[in-house]
Amino acid sequence: MEATFILGLAILLIGVLAVAFVRPKTYVARLINLEIPGWGLLLVMLAYDETLALLTFIAVTAISTFVIVRLMEWRDESC
Amino acid sequence: MIPALEIMFGFIALVGGVSAALILDYYGKLISLGILVAGVIPFIVDRGYLDVAITVSLIAPIATIFVLRVVRRADA
Amino acid sequence: MIALPLVAVVAVVAALRATFERNTARKLPYVNVLNFAIAASIVLLLDHPLSLVAAAAYFVGSTLEANAIASTYAGARNQ
Repeated sequence: MEATFILGLAILLIGVLAVAFVRPKTYVARLINLEIPGWGLLLVMLAYDETLALLTFIAVTAISTFVIVRLMEWRDESC
Repeated sequence: MIPALEIMFGFIALVGGVSAALILDYYGKLISLGILVAGVIPFIVDRGYLDVAITVSLIAPIATIFVLRVVRRADA
Repeated sequence: MIALPLVAVVAVVAALRATFERNTARKLPYVNVLNFAIAASIVLLLDHPLSLVAAAAYFVGSTLEANAIASTYAGARNQ
């Protein structure tokens, strides 16, 4: 339990710093970096035994990625 | 899981996360994200959540393919 | 007993080679090696009938992901 929790916190911190100070300053790089703290938060949530919360978190992360992808495509076509 | 295995898989996950943050190429970022997922999966299996592991390993490629559509549009 | 640490060592070596490879197209075979090693370690970690299904799902998903990245990268190079 302890190793999973600490590893999740480390990946969460790396991902948050990567999203905040993104190097190629584009929306695509920020979207790819946004997936890193999601996996860190998944590892942190793994330390508390809640199966339904884990399943819901995974599904909502994928759906929000899909929504942002559709938004970026729509924005490129409209401008 | 013995501590040596935890160190090894945690090292794989950390390498994937750091390289996904530092690599500038989009395709390299996506490959590093795959390495990160490969390091996270054994921890989920080790705690006994096999249904969560099945869901993660089926949904993570779908999210990558969604991102890949934007990468192809931005790269061209 | 010896199989699981051996597979983990193979996974660590493959992850390091895939990370420190400069060419993007040459990263993909090492990622495939890493995915095979992780799929083997899923089966060896937990003695449960459903772990075979989990390993098969991870195998299918990771192979699909690597092939999608390789296909898009080759299509972008040819243009």
